[in-house]
Amino acid sequence: MNGAVPALRIENLVKRYGDFTAVDGISFVVPEGQFFGLLGPNGAGKTTTINAIVGLAKITGGSIALFGHDVVRDWRAARGTVGLAPQEYNFDRYLNIRDVLIFQAGYYGLRGPAVAKRADLLLERFDLTSKAKLVYTKLSGGMKRRLTLARALIHQPRLVILDEPTAGVDVELRLELWSMLRELNTNGTTIILTTHYLEEAEELCDRIGIIQAGKLVALETTKKLIGEGSLQDIFLELTRR
Amino acid sequence: MIVNSVGFQTLVKREMVRTFSIINQVIWPPVIQTLLYVFIFGLGLGSRIKEVQGVSYAQFLIPGLIMLQLIDQTYSESSSSVFQGRFMNSIQELLIAPLSAIEIVLGYVVAGVVRAIFIALLITALGAVLVHAAPSYWALYLLTIVLVAILFSSLGIIFGLLAEKFDHIAVLTTFFITPLVFVGGVFTSMQLLPPLLQKISLVNPMFYMIDSFRYSYIRTGDVPLAVSLGVVTTLAVAAFVVALRMTAVGFKLRT
Repeated sequence: MNGAVPALRIENLVKRYGDFTAVDGISFVVPEGQFFGLLGPNGAGKTTTINAIVGLAKITGGSIALFGHDVVRDWRAARGTVGLAPQEYNFDRYLNIRDVLIFQAGYYGLRGPAVAKRADLLLERFDLTSKAKLVYTKLSGGMKRRLTLARALIHQPRLVILDEPTAGVDVELRLELWSMLRELNTNGTTIILTTHYLEEAEELCDRIGIIQAGKLVALETTKKLIGEGSLQDIFLELTRR
Repeated sequence: MIVNSVGFQTLVKREMVRTFSIINQVIWPPVIQTLLYVFIFGLGLGSRIKEVQGVSYAQFLIPGLIMLQLIDQTYSESSSSVFQGRFMNSIQELLIAPLSAIEIVLGYVVAGVVRAIFIALLITALGAVLVHAAPSYWALYLLTIVLVAILFSSLGIIFGLLAEKFDHIAVLTTFFITPLVFVGGVFTSMQLLPPLLQKISLVNPMFYMIDSFRYSYIRTGDVPLAVSLGVVTTLAVAAFVVALRMTAVGFKLRT
């Protein structure tokens, strides 16, 4: 939370699909270095917001800036600062997993021995070295989840967005991923996390935003938001309206 | 125009990796099919035809067969790669990266051109060995391959974006490309057709591609070379512009 320019600034973001408004004028700022949780029930607008940030969804209104770079006007610089770990496994099925990382770095304009070294380091960090020559379809669910995270980090983004990073993984792997995410954040990477596991947000996030029907209904530090109660109580109270 | 040259080159390389990982679908079928066409039509039935446009029928056949395979493979590979990327969502790897529409489209198209040249050279070698047919005008040979590959890679991108299921990308091949190529002069010279069919051939775009390419072998064509090249170039530029526009607006790519 050091930089004057925030990692993410969203101002009055609107996203419509025809007559349906998926995101309805939300605004918030995520300072650099923060671990931010974006919560909300299914269909609330979390993934649409994330897609707008990374360029997968076209913005209807408002603006988004990543480290001061507008994602529409200055899209090339903006995209270089962010890494996305989507919920689904959308790896290239023709590449082995080491090449998944190396080619992803290539799309970001990076290549050479430094990239190969970073790919090997990430494979090692995520305990995937022995599977380096396999295609992703040969990996277990937990390994695919770790590969998603490794791919998001290959170009050393300053901001990492994790869409349901622990969906469908067992408790052991979840705890392991929590530890990895904490370490990443401690090393200075800003993290935005969406999750349905409220205890995960409570455990990891410095600050939480709750979206309901495309609107931001809460934006507070985790400590203040929970107060004397539990995140679950607050979440249910805000999203049942 | 290309700012992220590493990203563009990475996409070309990725497409090549894809091609060689499915080599039995992409590279060998055109070679084997050509071999069969040459044996059955060129050396078998063709032995009863004295000569066409000054060369043996088998030699006349080779450039048309190369075009037939190039057109089919270039379109199929480009469209299936784009559609599969959309279907599996792996194309998001490109869409979230700092790659512009021109870098993405050129990545697919240049890969299509490289693939086309590779396939063409294999079949050309086959033709040289089997029926002693070889290009005599290499610049035109390469130019036509490049233009045709740009056209059909771009069409592949367009239909890869339009398609909602795999079946849709076969529509262009089944109902347009294959019939038009077959009647576009692969097997016969326009001069051998009745006057009415000659006139109909002139509205078939495949005719100009085959005629221009055959010119690089036998240095003669059914229509002036400038006309053939003009038609092919116009179509290639138009298809490329449409593919670029669709990618730039994020058609079925960005919601």
